[in-house]
Amino acid sequence: MEHSEKKEISRREFMKYTIAALGGLIGLGYGIPAIGYVVAPALAKSQAQQWIQLGAVSKVELGTPTLFKVNISRQTGWIVNQEELSVYVLTENGRDFVAMSNVCTHLGCRIRWIADQGQYYCPCHNGVYDKQGNVVSGPPPRPLDKYQTKVENDQLFILEG
Amino acid sequence: MLTRFGNWLDERMGWRAVWEAIFLRKVPKVNWFYTLGSATLFVAVNQAVTGILLTIYYVPTPDHAYDSVQYITTQVAGGWLIRGLHHWGASVMVVLVVLHMLRVIIYGAYKYPREVTWMTGVVLLLVVIGFGFTGYLLPWDQKSYWATTVGTRIAGVVPFLGDWILRIMRGGNDLSAVTLARFFGAHVWVLPATLLLLVGTHLFLVIRNGISEIPKREARKQ
Ligand code: HEM
Ligand code: FES
Repeated sequence: MEHSEKKEISRREFMKYTIAALGGLIGLGYGIPAIGYVVAPALAKSQAQQWIQLGAVSKVELGTPTLFKVNISRQTGWIVNQEELSVYVLTENGRDFVAMSNVCTHLGCRIRWIADQGQYYCPCHNGVYDKQGNVVSGPPPRPLDKYQTKVENDQLFILEG
Repeated sequence: MLTRFGNWLDERMGWRAVWEAIFLRKVPKVNWFYTLGSATLFVAVNQAVTGILLTIYYVPTPDHAYDSVQYITTQVAGGWLIRGLHHWGASVMVVLVVLHMLRVIIYGAYKYPREVTWMTGVVLLLVVIGFGFTGYLLPWDQKSYWATTVGTRIAGVVPFLGDWILRIMRGGNDLSAVTLARFFGAHVWVLPATLLLLVGTHLFLVIRNGISEIPKREARKQ
């Protein structure tokens, strides 16, 4: 009776469990680094923020959005790209500036200012924004993104990144 | 539960027969040298897994190859490990294949009925060397560039055909973007496909013919 209490495990069973355990360990040894390796770029922090000089304050027209285009370099993977950044700047008084991204908040197309209508228009799905960047109609879920701005020596800067 | 699922599948796939043919076959009493083929297979799987992972970042053009490899080793989490495993695995693979072949030679395991196993083995050896040769160029640094310059030159001294062989390997007279692209293609498509086919045949034959016994001294005549 005593004998049947003890759970004997056969040589074959023992080998089976050992091999399964070793296989599992090897699988984890490859699997965990592999997952880290694949997702790494997605988790990388975006680059440090930087102030970007748009141009002279005097270029901003009073009361209508003025388009500024600047070239910035951006590191993606192992490549440094030259990218063009387009920013609409609005001022009503020549002192306070609102700098808006031209990227539609719906799915990322580029919006443009239609002077006749006094509205921004996105050609992709007919998104419409007013002069301040608020959504008037169409699918965009939120107003245009704004940059932080500063003025130094009559030059306008935005904080990018 | 698991057994029931196993039964369900077996009824439709007959996988148990396959499993038994592979893992429950009868083998003679052998020694550790008989594990060299399996060891090679293990490293081959390592090369496949890490190699596939490397292609996620590696770009086979002269203006990106070097930088993308540097990016893997310095920027990507675990990139040094994945590349290291592939790099060292390549050398280990060559060593193991040669040792495996030596075992087969020394034990005379290439004889009837295993000649075809041997012949697929010979081609596998060439494939493994081909992996090493084409893979060496891919980092596109000074060492790989000049090693491949020399290696293709060596192929170029073959009588009569040499110049043709060299130009076909390089895809022109010089080492160029064309060379890098075709070495990459060979390394990740042509050779793996060949390896898969040959290893499949090789292992099928090992199982079909059974493993050879360790040769014994004949009993001394009285
Ligand atoms: C990718 C390379 C190779 C792999 C993955 C591989 C794999 C294997 C495996 C798993 C076995 C079972 C027995 C053992 O492990 O010793 C085997 C047997 C055999 N291999 Fe290979 N092999 C490779 C290359 C070669 C080479 C280069 C040769 C010789 C030119 C060769 C000739 C043989 C022969 C003749 C057998 C039968 C041995 C016997 O029945 O005792 N193999 N191989
Ligand atoms: S992307 Fe602008 S409306 Fe859809």
